[in-house]
Amino acid sequence: MIIFKNVNKWFGSLHVLKDINLHIHPGEVVVVCGPSGSGKSTLIRCINQLEPIQKGEIYVDGIQVNKRSTNLTKIRSEIGFVFQQFNLYPHLTVLENVVLSPIKVKKVPRKEAEENALRLLERVGIPDKANDYPSQLSGGQCQRVAIARGLAMNPKVMLFDEPTSALDPEMIKEVLDVMVELAQEGMTMIVVTHEMGFARQVADRVFFMDEGQIVESNTPDEFFDHPEHERTKEFLSKIITHN
Amino acid sequence: MLEHFSFRVIGQYLPLFLKGLWATCWISGISIFFALIIGVVACGMRLSKNKFFQKLAGIYIESIRSTPLLAQLYFFYFGLPSLHVNLNEVQTGILALALNSGAYIAEIVRAGIVSIPHGQVEAATAYGLNYFQRMRYIILPQALGVTIPALLGQFIVLVKDSSLVSLISVLELTRAGQLMASERFMPAEGFFTVAAFYLLIYYILKYLSNWWQNRLIYMEGH
Ligand SMILES: Nc1ncnc2c1ncn2[C@@H]1O[C@H](COP(=O)(O)OP(=O)(O)O)[C@@H](O)[C@H]1O
Ligand SMILES: [Mg+2]
Repeated sequence: MIIFKNVNKWFGSLHVLKDINLHIHPGEVVVVCGPSGSGKSTLIRCINQLEPIQKGEIYVDGIQVNKRSTNLTKIRSEIGFVFQQFNLYPHLTVLENVVLSPIKVKKVPRKEAEENALRLLERVGIPDKANDYPSQLSGGQCQRVAIARGLAMNPKVMLFDEPTSALDPEMIKEVLDVMVELAQEGMTMIVVTHEMGFARQVADRVFFMDEGQIVESNTPDEFFDHPEHERTKEFLSKIITHN
Repeated sequence: MLEHFSFRVIGQYLPLFLKGLWATCWISGISIFFALIIGVVACGMRLSKNKFFQKLAGIYIESIRSTPLLAQLYFFYFGLPSLHVNLNEVQTGILALALNSGAYIAEIVRAGIVSIPHGQVEAATAYGLNYFQRMRYIILPQALGVTIPALLGQFIVLVKDSSLVSLISVLELTRAGQLMASERFMPAEGFFTVAAFYLLIYYILKYLSNWWQNRLIYMEGH
């Protein structure tokens, strides 16, 4: 589904991704964790080419994305992306936020797009907010709208960049619940998060990133109970005392 | 002093003033319309990744903003015919006003655009919207929203600036005052009336601007 081959990325002289190789299968849920600045966001932003890479190859569903001839719009419309800061469009209602890309990019008829959007809003638990503006919603509700916006494209993969880090503690669960459900329905997901409960419950694999490399990759139970690397142990001890 | 002030003559000249007022309004209206288009295009070029467009827009904006409008007006009025481009006075006036205002509008819109948080643009990119769709559906609606007061301010400036086209003998408000002043030797009455009409236009635009600003505050309050 998603393949990285010797991927390298630099910001100027800063080497942020170092020879990344990975292979994610359809239906798999992968959690990525690691210290701040280790390159987690950059890793998933490369997948839909929000960040270009300088070396290596990235494939999504068999298509190489880092090639000039690739139709990026098509690739992007098959990948849902959920940002830490929600990044909803504040001048549009919740419904308009969700239907914009299906209508403009996928050319879905408005009526069909709206019906689908209402179903998705129901699924993320906020059917009554369709005509509100994002500024009228709580953070947790905003993030659920953002997830609905992603699902509206009928994506093959959903990418999450620290979806609960900007939320007040009491709202984290409502967002995680939606994500757990999504995972159990078989969605392919890559989730950058430090929510260990989520990782244990639904992840197939956990990656630990440090200084631009995937240092460790394992099943959640192995990863949390028997970390192999020093850096992983150190990192886990920090987030455990923190939680 | 006021007993010498001839309201009767003002009354006589009223049809001329109204004709001038109308001309000022439509010349300004057409000019601001083209200025908006020029401004948005120039701004898009300046913010584009293409170095050539960037440079071109930069040269246009800088050269307009660093020279007086009167010089620009004369440049088109006297310069274009020698390039075998023949426009009448009104067309020349509109061209100069639109190009002049366009440069200022480009900067106003740019300020509005850079005020849009980058995350939204990223989200729109991630969801497959291309450059024009991002502009059309995400950036411009918000950028224009917050810049409407500044744009109306620019429109007020343009209305006042349009008085300069009287110098190439277009009959508009100021020209009407000049005619009355020179035909009846009544500069006080003539230009007082001109000023009063400009004030009227100003208050109407100002009212619109305030109305919009309140609406904006109301929308943000939600
Ligand atoms: N747009 C950018 N320009 C320059 N450096 C960047 C940019 N984005 C991220 N970086 C740097 O790249 C490194 C990895 O960042 P990031 O992928 O955001 O890490 P993480 O998500 O793990 O915190 C950091 O050192 C960060 O400062
Ligand atoms: Mg990050």
